[in-house]
Parts: sequence; C-alpha cells; structure tokens
Amino acid sequence: MTTASASVSWRRYFWWNTDHKVIGVQYIVTSFFFFILGGALAGLVRAELASPATDLLDGATYNQVMTNHGTLMIFLWVLPVLAGFGNYLIPLMIGARDMVFPRLNALSYWMIPPAGMLMIASFFAGGAEAGWTAYVPLSIGGPPGQTLWALSVMLLGISAIFGAINFLATVIMMRAPGLSIWRLPLFVWGMIATSTLILTATPVLTSGLIMVALDRVVGTHFFTVTSGGDPVLWQNLFWFYSHPAVYIMILPAMGIISEIFPVFARKPIFGYRMIAMSSMAIAILGLTVWAHHMFTSGMDPRLRVPYMVSSMVIAVPTGIKIFSWLATIWNGKLRLTTPMLFALGFISMFLIGGLTGIFLAAIPVDLHVHDTYFVVAHLHFVLFGGSVSAVYAGLYYWFPKITGRMYDEKIGRTHFALNFIGTNLAYLPMFIAGLMGMPRRVAAYDASFTSYNQWATLGALILAASTLPFLYNAVLSWARGPKAAANPWQALTLEWQTSSPPPPENFPEIPTATGDPYDYGEPSPAAEPAAAPAAG
Amino acid sequence: MSHQAMQHAEDFRAGHALGLDHRKLGMWLFIASEVMFFGGLISAYLHYKYTLGFPETTDLNVVLVGINTMVLLTSSYTVVSALTAIRQGRQGRFAALLLLTILLGVAFLTGQLYEFADLYRQGVTLTSGVFGSSFFTLTGFHGLHVAVGVLWAIVTLFRGLRGTLNAEHNMAVEIFGLYWHFVDIVWIVLFTQIYLIV
Amino acid sequence: MRERTLFISAIVGIGLIAAGFAVATQANVMPPEASTRAVAVDQLFRILLGVSTVIFLLVEGALVFAVLRFRQRPGDDRPGPAIHGNTSLEILWTLIPAAIVVVIGVYSFQVLAAIEVPGLGPRVVEVVARQFSWQFRYPEADLATTELHLPVGQPVIFQISAEDVIHSFWVPAFRAKRDATPGQISELAMTPIEVGRFPIRCAELCGAGHAIMTSEVVVESVEDFDAWLAEQQAMANDPAQIFLTMGCGACHVLTVAATTGTIGPSLDDLPGVAGTRLAGVGAADYVEQSILAPDDFIVSGFPPGLMPKTFFQRLTPDQIERLAAFLLDQP
Repeated sequence: MTTASASVSWRRYFWWNTDHKVIGVQYIVTSFFFFILGGALAGLVRAELASPATDLLDGATYNQVMTNHGTLMIFLWVLPVLAGFGNYLIPLMIGARDMVFPRLNALSYWMIPPAGMLMIASFFAGGAEAGWTAYVPLSIGGPPGQTLWALSVMLLGISAIFGAINFLATVIMMRAPGLSIWRLPLFVWGMIATSTLILTATPVLTSGLIMVALDRVVGTHFFTVTSGGDPVLWQNLFWFYSHPAVYIMILPAMGIISEIFPVFARKPIFGYRMIAMSSMAIAILGLTVWAHHMFTSGMDPRLRVPYMVSSMVIAVPTGIKIFSWLATIWNGKLRLTTPMLFALGFISMFLIGGLTGIFLAAIPVDLHVHDTYFVVAHLHFVLFGGSVSAVYAGLYYWFPKITGRMYDEKIGRTHFALNFIGTNLAYLPMFIAGLMGMPRRVAAYDASFTSYNQWATLGALILAASTLPFLYNAVLSWARGPKAAANPWQALTLEWQTSSPPPPENFPEIPTATGDPYDYGEPSPAAEPAAAPAAG
Repeated sequence: MSHQAMQHAEDFRAGHALGLDHRKLGMWLFIASEVMFFGGLISAYLHYKYTLGFPETTDLNVVLVGINTMVLLTSSYTVVSALTAIRQGRQGRFAALLLLTILLGVAFLTGQLYEFADLYRQGVTLTSGVFGSSFFTLTGFHGLHVAVGVLWAIVTLFRGLRGTLNAEHNMAVEIFGLYWHFVDIVWIVLFTQIYLIV
Repeated sequence: MRERTLFISAIVGIGLIAAGFAVATQANVMPPEASTRAVAVDQLFRILLGVSTVIFLLVEGALVFAVLRFRQRPGDDRPGPAIHGNTSLEILWTLIPAAIVVVIGVYSFQVLAAIEVPGLGPRVVEVVARQFSWQFRYPEADLATTELHLPVGQPVIFQISAEDVIHSFWVPAFRAKRDATPGQISELAMTPIEVGRFPIRCAELCGAGHAIMTSEVVVESVEDFDAWLAEQQAMANDPAQIFLTMGCGACHVLTVAATTGTIGPSLDDLPGVAGTRLAGVGAADYVEQSILAPDDFIVSGFPPGLMPKTFFQRLTPDQIERLAAFLLDQP
C-alpha cells in the first residue's frame, strides 16, 4: 500500500490538505460536531417545552437557544455534511484524481471552523434571537451577537459558493473516458442540481445579510420603517435563497438514496433518466416558489397564486422519484443492511414531510398553519426524517470505503430503530398541536397542548439517545473494526473499483466506463479498471 | 511539478472535448454567482425607487458619471486589445495597453469618489435615508469590485513584464479580461438604472 | 392469475379509499369552526387529508410489502431482474399526480377566492400589535380596547399593523392569520358565525414576550356587542381602563388591575418609591416621565429598550396625568 504510516495519517485531517478525500472527511466530522451542538440546543428546547409554562429558560434565552439550534443545524450541519459527501465522492464516482481546483476546495473547508467559532461566539456576545429567519426589524434591534451571526452565515455562504464552482467544473471537465452524462451516478446528478442552486441563490442571501449588517452597524436605512424601509424586502431576499436551500439540503440526500437502493436490491435503478431530470426540475422549480413562505405577509393577494401553483407542481418530480425508488426495490433481492434500513426510513418519513408540504402550499390551509407547529413538524420530517436519514445511510454505506474498516451491523440496526421511533414520536404530535392552535417559536403554550409536547419531548429524548450507538459504532469501528474489502457491497459505481480506502491518486490508472452504473442483473460490468483494486 | 501538469491536462479530457478550459469555466461560474449578488443589491435599489420615489436623484451628476462610464467602457476595449497583443507575442504593446487599462480604472474610481464626495456635500450620505443607503451600497460594492480588478491588473502586468505570461501562456489575461468585462457590464446596468432612467 | 391480481387490486383500492374517507371525516384536529372561512378551509383540509392518507397508505404499504416479500433468502446469491424502467408506468405516475395537483390547485384557488372576499357592509376593526400586546380600535366609535369583541354574523375587515417589529394576528378558530408589519396596513376579511370566546395568538416571533402575546376575541350577539361598545366608550377616560387598554399589564404587575406581567418592574410599590428614584424629581413627575421617556431611568435588574416610547403619541397629557395619579393612589 502506498498510504502513509498510521502515525502520520490522522494528523493530516487537522491541517491544510488539498486531497478531496481528506477535505471530505474534514467536512463530515466538523459538521457532525455541530450536529451534536445543535442537538444539545434542541434538547434544551424540548426540556423547556415539556411543561406549558416558561420555567427552564426565560423568553429571551429561549429565543437565542431556538435561533442557534436552527442556524447550526442548517448552516453548520446539513449543508456542509452534504458538501462533504460531494467532496469525497464526486472525483471517485467520475473516475478523476481530484477536484478541478484542489486549493479552492481546501479553502472552502477552512472557512467553516472560523465561521463556526464566530457563530458560537455570537451566542455569548448576546446571542441572535430572531430565529434562523432573522426577520427585520426584530433582527436589526437585536443583541450584538446578531451581527456576528450574520457575518458567520455570510462566510458559510461564500464557502458554499466556492464549493459549488468546484463541483460543477469538476463534473464538466474531469469525467473519465466513457462516462457520458447519462452514465453519471445519480448522486452526481443530485450534486449538479444542488450546485446550480447554491450558485444562483446563495449570493442573494449574502446581499440581504450585508444590508442587515449595515443597518445594525453603520446605521443605513434599508429596513428602517420610519425612513420608508420595507421589512418585506428582507423576507423576499431571505427566502429567495432559503427556499432553494431546502432543495440544496434534500437533492444530495436523494442522490445518496438512489445509490443505495440498486445495490441492496441487486437491481438496476428504475427510471434512471427520469430521476436525473427530476433532480434538475426540482432545482429549477425550486427557484420560483420562495414567496410561499410569505402568504400571510400582506403581499398583493393575487400575486400569491402563482407561488401556490409552482409549489404544488414540485410534487410531480418528487413523486416520480419516490415511485421509481419503490419500483427499484419491487421484485428485487433486498438485503436489509443498515444503509438500506435508513434508505427505507427515508422514503417513509420524507413521504410524510412531502405530503404535508402540499397542505402548506394550499394558501387557505397555510393561512391557518403558517408559523405553527404544523410547519415545525413538516420541516423536521423532511430535514430530519429525510436528509439526516440519508446522511446516516450514506455514512454507513461509504464507511468501509472511507475508513477501510467495516462497522458493526447489529449496533447499526439498533441505531436505526431508535432513530425511526424517536423521529416519528417527536414530530407526529407536532402536526396536531399546530392544527389545534400552537404557534411556533414559543417558550410557553396553552395547557391544552401539553400532552402533544410531552410525547414530542419523549421522542426527542430517544433521538438524543440514538446518537450514542452511532458514535460508539463509528469511533470503535474506525479504530478497530474488521478491515473492509475494496467492494464489500458488490456495487458497480467507480468508487468501489478501487481500494478501501482509495490511494491518494484515487485510481492506479484512470478507469474507462463501459456501461451504466446500475447494471445489476446483467452480465456487462460498469467499468474496466486497468488494474485489479488492491485488497483492503 | 511538470508531471503533475501533464497529469492535469489528461484529466481534463472530458472538458477539452467540449472545448472548455477549466480556469475559464471556473471564472464563468464565479461570474454567475456575482451576477446574482449584484441582483440582490439592485433589487433593493429598484424596489425602493419604484415604491418610494427618489427625489435625491436630482443631486446626481449625470454628465460627470456619464463620462466616467465612457472611461470604464474604454478600459474594456484596452483589455481586449491587450489580450490580442499578448497572443501575438507583442509583450511591449501588451504592457502598455494593460497599463492604460489600470490608469482608466483608477480614473473611474477617482471619478466615483468625486461623485460620492459631491453627494455627501449635498447631504446625501450612506445613512441619510433609503436612497443614500441603497445607492452607496450598490455603487460602493461595484467600486470595490473595480478596485480588486485594478489590483489584479497590476499583478497581471507584472507577470507579463516578467515573461510568465506570453504568447503561449496567457490564459490568466483572458480570465482577468472576463472579470473586467463583467464589472463593466454591471456598471452599464447600474448607470442606466440609477442615472439614466429617473 | 390475472383475475387474482385484479381482485387483490380492487380490495386494496377499496380499502385505501375507505381509509382515506374515514380519516378525512373522522379526524378531529381543528379548533371550532367559528367563521365562514373556517368552514371552507376545513373542507379543503379534510379533502387534502383524505387524499394524503390514500397516497401514504399506498406508498408505505407497497414499501412494507416489498420489504417483507422480496427479502433475499439465505443462500440465494442471484441478482434481481434487470429492469431499467417501464415507459407506460412512468407516464402513469407522472400524469396521475399531475392531475391530482391540478385538481387540488384549482379547488384551493376557488376556496381562496371565496374566503378572501369581504362580506357585505363589513365593520372595520383596526388591529395594532406591539411588543407584547394587542390593541384594537373601532374607528366609528373612536375607541381603543385590549379586548376584541365582534357581533356574530357581521362581516369584519381587520386592518392590521404593528408599531415596532413584525407580529402576526392569528385566531385559530377563524382559520385566519395575517402579519402585522410596521409601516404597512394589511387587511384580513372574515365573518364570525359562532358565539364564544376564542384565543388570539401572535404567530410571528417578535421578541422575548412572543409566547405570552395572547388575547381573546369575544363573539357575541349584536345586542351584547352594542352594550359592550357603549360600556367601553364610557370607560375611555377611566385610568384603570387606560392602563389595561395600553397593554401595560403585559409587562407590569399591578394588583389593583389584576395584571401579572413580569417583563418590567412591579408597579405595586410605586407609591412608596416613586418620590425617591430620581433626586429632585417628585413622585408624579417621575411616573409621568417613566411613561413618556421609559429609558431615562431603568430599575436595576431590568433590560433597557423594551418599554414602548410611543405613549406620548397615544395618550393625551390629561390621560397621562390621570394614569400617574391612579398608579400613585393605590391602597
């Protein structure tokens, strides 16, 4: 093996390194740290909400905890962990040796720890307490930490834009011979769609954050109502990014799921081209729906209708994906490994999230449930039940490839069971609480909502507990797990045609793709590596 | 080092088949994000222009800034000529044209600063109202982009003088040119919306 | 074999529709339908619920069935069949959801058009939101109150605004919500149809007191409403009423007014301490100054910048004088 000796290998993860595989792991581990932090804040939220009165935290502190929970989870966990997967997998999946711009890639990662520290510092400087949505004028007049919060988010946005440039350029420029656009793995398609959104939408948020920062620090009048400033302008700028952001958080996740089903059903993916094109359709449509977050804002009532229409239309490409996944596993030979279990859980829980999205798109219903716990339930089903399930599925699936060792399957299944039960228990009651009249972002609520909140807190407790078997499994297996083969899942995509972990140059020789990446059940293989992959 | 360079060329086979250079592609993608950034700032300006009305536009100096616009447009022409020159191996001509670009860029920035100072004298400042805030933020960020471009041009000039950039290796000039033209086009949009359409 | 598949599909289909119908008609997860809007919105909601139930059971059922039926048996190392797609199936599962979306979209639009049209001869009620209380103004009666009363059956148009940050006026029982945005007036039309008391909640994060920014709407008969209105007009200059209407109780304890807010200092001890707080400033002057310019003197332990600075606009000097006297005259 050409890898460096064990005493040097772990150090490179803490330093500047342009190898996309190192950067990918840096992204994943760093974001997981913020996942734990964001989860701890969620624990505080649920502890407070276990009883109707404001007992644990006062109103202002609760708002800070809640704001940072959302902000950490979105900007420092889900977005970067998916970028981490993109970083690790894209060059391998397209048969390249690295990204097009390896140093820009390292820079993208290294913007994250300072941005994260800025975010943590903001919490102690008088934390942002206007929600992750930072509506003005509340965020303009808020505590000093709000400015640090805005700077941190700007930094993370710029990091994401650099990453998107790298991903798109890499897929366009560096595909191995024979890897035409219709032979790209669906995870890569998901990242293409995602990167397009990052490039187009994030800069608009940056421009809005600059306006907020200038209003706070310098005294500009972008959002000063008495000078003629318009608070709704911020909403438009914010949601123009933040709606596509949710697709940025789900498209790579869906890509992961598309990789896992064919492997563990031993069947080709059903409807490859439709899934690929649905990813692009969701991305493009996703840029047109942002005002569905603003149906109650007082905007011109007639203007709301096109947004209702486009928001409902997104259900069609989403449905195509779900049905295609079902058709993939139908009549297959299913192996219920941990990644497969999480993928199946993904469909179940994302389905609930997606269907409730239609309720929200229907303006008459939205006028009742907007800014209530119905939305909190919806978003957690798609983001936690959806994206996080997919992240876990991906972590287990590519664990042997990244670490060269195999995780413990039994502990993995325990993790899945706790995660599935916890998620449903935590968030299903919230739908009802919202419908019955419980607003969101409250530290106290009417006594009639108590039982729903108590069930939700119990579910959250189970979710907190569920991370323990995962951490135990991940750490111990990485350190001492059984060595993994190059291709323990007998998968066909290119990352499996090299050793586990791959050598620094990824492939001894650049492979040539001769078939599609999901050719299970057929005799022709997807790639002919010039040399046999080294044994693990 | 050279082995890595060769390895890189072979790695970009897919892109080269499409006629693309990776550095140019990277710059185009970056420009796309910058377009959206300025889009956000322009949207704020136009929103307030059409909902509040901007009486302060009478304080704007259309003639001065109009001339300034010509200056910037000319600098895009000199950049194109500089690129042609270096491709033909005419290092001296390249250096002169790039130096002219830099001077025109600095002239533009000077003109902008003069306009800003003039507005400040008339009580229109960054914090005087919605117009001041959106005007100075929008034109200020554009000016920042021009300043970055001027610094980039200086670096490029030195690389040309040293011979690192020549008839065979001049992609860096073309990429700088792309950035510079983008900054120019943004200014045309800004000038039209702020100064011409009142 | 074909007959069996058809038979099973029929049974499953009927079962799904029955489940959807059951959930749609039996689910009881909404507040009372206290407005005409509520009736229409709940109808749409039930249909969405029924359709979603059918889709969920279909997809989830297929998934569970597949997991149970298609597990790889031990010793079976063969791959599954090499099926890449099925054009007719894919067209079907594109067109059917698209059709459902179209139908739901059209129906939602019709409901929207119906509920947002004001009834005939609507009464205008202004809603003013501030951190952290609601104030309601009846323009024809020139009256401001902290409690919202409405005559049953009469259309209303709420004109909603805010004085500081964005709030959101939400009456769950009416299924109506509209943001209260400073600098703009947003209109919300509805007609109450059920007599009763229904909660009003703030539905947009507005600061530390967002959760307690609640109020109540009282829907009553026309006679009762008219009586209430007359009573309110009579009390307009009563200082105790001013104290309640201005929402002081949301932040201040005042036992004689039965308010319990703790965001600001308690006013129960004001008679004893008002004269001693600022050197050279008498008790009445101190109280009046505290109302007009709240940040001039902050009681230790409380944050600055929370008490509204707009009372000088909303109260006449005479009203402020009466209010100060009332606060100092506590038993």
